[in-house]
Amino acid sequence: MKGRLAVGVVALGVAAAVPLVAGQHLLTAFIVALHAAYMALAWNVAAGYAGQFSLGHSLFYGIGAYASTMLYLKLGLTPWVGMFAGAALAGVVGVLLALGVYRYNVRGIFFALVTLGAAEVAKGLADNWHWIKGPVGILLTMKAAPAEFFFLRREPYYYVALAMVVAMVAISLVLERSRLGQHFLAVREDEAAAEASGVDTHRAKTVAIGLSAALTAFAGSFYAQFYLYVSPETVLTFEPQLTMMLGTMVGGAGTALGPVLGSVLFSGLGEALRNLPFENTRQVVIGSKLVYAILLIVILIYLPGGLITLGRRRA
Amino acid sequence: MIGLDVVVQALLSGLFMGSVYALIAIGFTLVFGVTDIVNFAHGHLVMAAMFVTYFLFKTAHLDPYLSLVVVLPLFFGVGALLYVLVIQRIVEAPHSAHMMVTLGLLLVFENLANLFFGGDLRGITTKYTTSSFVMGPVAVPLARLGAAVVSLLAVAVLGVFLARTTLGKAIRASANNREGAALVGVNVPRVYLVSFSLGTMAAALAGAVIVPFSLVSPFVGHEFILKAFVIAVLGGLGSVPGALAGGLLIGFVEALSSLYISASLGNAIVFAILIAVLLYRPWGIFGQAKV
Amino acid sequence: MSALLAVRGVSKRFGGLQALSNVTFGVDHREIVGIIGPNGAGKTTLFNVITGVYAPDLGRVELRGMDVTGWAPHRICRLGAARTFQIGKPFAALSVLQTVRIGALNRIDSMAGATARALEVLELVGLAGKRDDLGRHLTVIERKRLELARALATGPALLLLDEVAAGLRPNEIQEMIALVRRIAAGGVSVLIIEHVLEAVMRLSARRGVPGRGLHACLKSRASRWRTATCACSTT
Ligand SMILES: Nc1ncnc2c1ncn2[C@@H]1O[C@H](COP(=O)(O)OP(=O)(O)OP(=O)(O)O)[C@@H](O)[C@H]1O
Ligand SMILES: [Mg+2]
Repeated sequence: MKGRLAVGVVALGVAAAVPLVAGQHLLTAFIVALHAAYMALAWNVAAGYAGQFSLGHSLFYGIGAYASTMLYLKLGLTPWVGMFAGAALAGVVGVLLALGVYRYNVRGIFFALVTLGAAEVAKGLADNWHWIKGPVGILLTMKAAPAEFFFLRREPYYYVALAMVVAMVAISLVLERSRLGQHFLAVREDEAAAEASGVDTHRAKTVAIGLSAALTAFAGSFYAQFYLYVSPETVLTFEPQLTMMLGTMVGGAGTALGPVLGSVLFSGLGEALRNLPFENTRQVVIGSKLVYAILLIVILIYLPGGLITLGRRRA
Repeated sequence: MIGLDVVVQALLSGLFMGSVYALIAIGFTLVFGVTDIVNFAHGHLVMAAMFVTYFLFKTAHLDPYLSLVVVLPLFFGVGALLYVLVIQRIVEAPHSAHMMVTLGLLLVFENLANLFFGGDLRGITTKYTTSSFVMGPVAVPLARLGAAVVSLLAVAVLGVFLARTTLGKAIRASANNREGAALVGVNVPRVYLVSFSLGTMAAALAGAVIVPFSLVSPFVGHEFILKAFVIAVLGGLGSVPGALAGGLLIGFVEALSSLYISASLGNAIVFAILIAVLLYRPWGIFGQAKV
Repeated sequence: MSALLAVRGVSKRFGGLQALSNVTFGVDHREIVGIIGPNGAGKTTLFNVITGVYAPDLGRVELRGMDVTGWAPHRICRLGAARTFQIGKPFAALSVLQTVRIGALNRIDSMAGATARALEVLELVGLAGKRDDLGRHLTVIERKRLELARALATGPALLLLDEVAAGLRPNEIQEMIALVRRIAAGGVSVLIIEHVLEAVMRLSARRGVPGRGLHACLKSRASRWRTATCACSTT
């Protein structure tokens, strides 16, 4: 326990020192990796711990991105606060979705398809909603306004992303050690046996989706502030969902560090490659995606618990 | 006001595309019914077959229909290879692993195509690409008619195969009850392999026959897999006749919604239907509830 | 005086199959009641109705004086009836300790307290040495013990055991019988389904109280087996 804490502190120290040595390109890669790790951890709450394999988390990501952005543009509310409003909204939508889905006892593959469908419907609606500028999307202007979550340099974004990941790891660890978290695990393993152990499976699943949705929305708000652009094509497609799943499943679902490991490996390395001065960057980026896809398949077949189990086996 | 002839024209194109969708969805639902695996890469198999057909035309001037002689056995083999290399290793794994691994396959296909062919949309022009004949108030496009006829024929052949042949009966038995089928002497692993290969071949056939009038890029697979999901669910996951009905229905819905509502909402409507069906009739609108 | 458990006129039908028809019986405090019957007689279905997995078509289930008909299983567990599954349902990816701790969290809010309780229960059922093994790695017998431990950890007033001795070797059956006695001695009532007639008989014969004969407590579908003989005893 003490040893692990020490490792954690050292890792955090190293992570905090990264901007001192990394250039802006490399820093971008780190930010993308941290952002992906955060998203993966947020999805992991529902999919990894509670076994609710949602394919519609882009919906919550999109809600976060649009909510903080619209609140800022229309009401002048700083995204620092707006992101909490987005999280609350996503949480409510998540709970409502869960209530509907679980009321009809939709499970497993059907649950995955319903959530996927929900995100697709949301994208269709967003594409046709003029108030949020439809498919054109919303551009934010770059400026130096720290109080409004706008920075000109990469470093502040890096520290925000790092803080989000640290907070999310902490939330995961607390969850693992809580009654609620244990209930999540029971639901994931066997709902009938969970009920027989006194677990309100309905409630546990609904809380898992709501919590995971709200946490995912923060990532959406961060995306908007970092890329300064929100559109259905960027935040409501399958892309964010894929990012969450890849990192989580490769690193290890249902653990607090697996999703971080997987995301840093997948998204971080990909982004780093994209920014290196290769002669044919396009081929390198696509080639790396190809290698990742093959790696994903190999890992899932031979290490179904993810890369994190490698370390655990030795320990 | 939209004229009646326009509506009939739309219905006709809905019927044609619906037949192709039905074939794609039947391949998907057959694999699910037998192996319990949701193959996210199914749409990308359609894409792969489109590319093969495209290049056979471009390089060897082989007509897409003639190229079936190459494409069908090739993709039966691709399916068998995928099964042996990947799918059979995850059959026993949980659904989440099925989804992730087949998503991985999807990414492999997409990035392979993107790496070698680039992301541009490509199409071919055959002698009949733009031909059509006039029948009453509507013009019947030849290429689409051909695709629909071949697709429906393939569906019929598959139906007869499943109903009449020993292997077909074994496949249906395994779909109903794996352990039971094994007990009465069905070689379940072989049945799985054949089913997956047949499903792949169905996707490939659909891909080949739409090449004369469709553009192909590494990313067209997404549209097909989403359609296949919806259709298979409408028909009841695992049900072949249900998928046929669902395919035609989605063809009509798509054609009419692009007529009356914006095309970008078309997908949302289709998915809203999907959600409603999953909630109220998870066994499909054409299926029977299991007690 | 109301019994701990009262089943009144319960019927349950699956399609064309009448699994239970008009079952009435009760379990008192500090009592061990056995249920025997041939395969498919509806024994497990009776458990499923009592614990809220199925709502009965007709009739009522009362637990500790409350009408619990139609309640969700977790509420019935919270009120004090815990069951084991005939075919064990271990949490495949969780350790034995984690599994039993989840049961213990039913009554104990703190993780530390639940862990302590889980360890006690594991000691009692003889699984303490396996505390870190994953559910999926357990043998059939260990699974049965795990089922028992999980149910016991929820702190029940009534424990429903579905064939916990089936498939065990004679000496293991003796151990299981001793274990059930020890649990009952701690003040928990037990409703036990058992094929191994000896197990039920020994549990009941011990006090020498003749079976009260839960007549017609279960009926087979063909009414070939009309009156079930249920060995009973009052401890
Ligand atoms: N969910 C269900 N749906 C349909 N039929 C069911 C269901 N559960 C049980 N049955 C049927 O009800 C009858 C009674 O089953 P039950 O499991 O209660 O028997 P049992 O007495 O526990 O038998 P065994 O000694 O084999 O455990 C059986 O014929 C069984 O097939
Ligand atoms: Mg039974």
